[in-house]
Amino acid sequence: MHTVTFQINGERRTETVAPTMTLLELIRDQLHLTGTKEGCGIGECGACTVLLDGAPVTACLVLAAEVDGAEIRTIEGELKNGQLSDLQQAFIDAGAVQCGFCTPGMIMSARGLLNRNPHPTDAEIIEAIAGNLCRCTGYQAVVDAIRNASRPLTREARGLRDAESAAESGGESHD
Amino acid sequence: MLGPFEYVRALSLEEACRLLREEGESARAFAGGTDLLVEIRNGIRSPSLLVDIKPIGALSTLEADGADEGLRIGPAVTLNRIAEHAALRQKLPALSDAALSIATYQLRNRATLGGNLCNASPASDSIPPLLVVDAIMEIQGVDGAREVPLDCFCTGVKKTCLESGEIVSGIRVPAIAAGTRTAFLKQQRIKGHDLAVVNLAGALTPDGLLKISVGSCTPTPLLLEPIETAGHSEDAVSEEAVRLAAESISPISDVRASAEYRRAIVPALVRRLVHDLVKGGA
Repeated sequence: MHTVTFQINGERRTETVAPTMTLLELIRDQLHLTGTKEGCGIGECGACTVLLDGAPVTACLVLAAEVDGAEIRTIEGELKNGQLSDLQQAFIDAGAVQCGFCTPGMIMSARGLLNRNPHPTDAEIIEAIAGNLCRCTGYQAVVDAIRNASRPLTREARGLRDAESAAESGGESHD
Repeated sequence: MLGPFEYVRALSLEEACRLLREEGESARAFAGGTDLLVEIRNGIRSPSLLVDIKPIGALSTLEADGADEGLRIGPAVTLNRIAEHAALRQKLPALSDAALSIATYQLRNRATLGGNLCNASPASDSIPPLLVVDAIMEIQGVDGAREVPLDCFCTGVKKTCLESGEIVSGIRVPAIAAGTRTAFLKQQRIKGHDLAVVNLAGALTPDGLLKISVGSCTPTPLLLEPIETAGHSEDAVSEEAVRLAAESISPISDVRASAEYRRAIVPALVRRLVHDLVKGGA
């Protein structure tokens, strides 16, 4: 067994883990943070995407024993003081959630993108979520949501996504 | 469920080699894990010990800055670092493009160059761009270090010349002549992330020496005989490259494509690669 100390969503934890345990199993089964989903288990679907030291990774292909000293962020870390994050709200507003299984991974990939590139192009958004498979909505609403989150609109203008909204690009990013 | 296996973090090259030697053939060096953990999960490999080499800082260095020098890349450097490294792209864009074509952003944050090379897949995307610039594998073992040209490193499908207790300690590319053009092409089934049906890379030096490597059509990626292009038309060079490729490949049919399809598209891809190199975009 291995003892690992790490930060998850800003909280410091020390856990005892088996050498064969994945980071995904640690997050879901031991820390009971079940927002992160297991889809394929082999890094193909992106449902288990979390940020490991700021970088999006598939938690099913990381060993829990590796995360000593690491900083991890999961979908649960998006909620701040009971408030949905910009990305969470944007996904709702754009209708980018249907069954919801891919959504936590999508949002964590998007968070990683906005952290390194606050104003991505559509091509950059598509590249960033290419590893996140959605079987319900298709991807356009997801791309719209991420684009909208990167260019915050006023509440009144939300939903009037047209040429006017492009003029309001800029503004703050989450975190 | 994975395993069972033990996991240990190696803090030095010597420790990693010693641990791998002591455990013997059932030990595996572990870096990104994006191939190895999938193989374990699918029952293809059942190692008893994973030796994590990422804590060894020297294995994550990337030197590409010296203007007249080559490259030296640590085996634990991730594919995203390679894809995003400006000085590396300046010198060897074929490798940058190849790295960017592998898997997804999340996987490239974990997958390493050393892992892609040591996995020794016939369809490895990182091998062809390194073959055309004569990359050398630096190998550390319990009893000392040795160097092996990349062209001799892979010995078969998923097999390398690494002995028990040996790990790759660096990937070195000799100085690349200023003005050398390199390019990478990959035929895949879908526009997003996919393994190659055929992948190839080329390097054309300013004095006209053309090297081409074709992947996914032989048990290990193939380096064609160099072609002297000086004084020859693009068409003549293309047809010579197509002839060399066609007589050297031995494609098989698999889940991604039939042997016949691979044989049919290699000439088209070789001509496109030669055109890119001769006309200069890359």
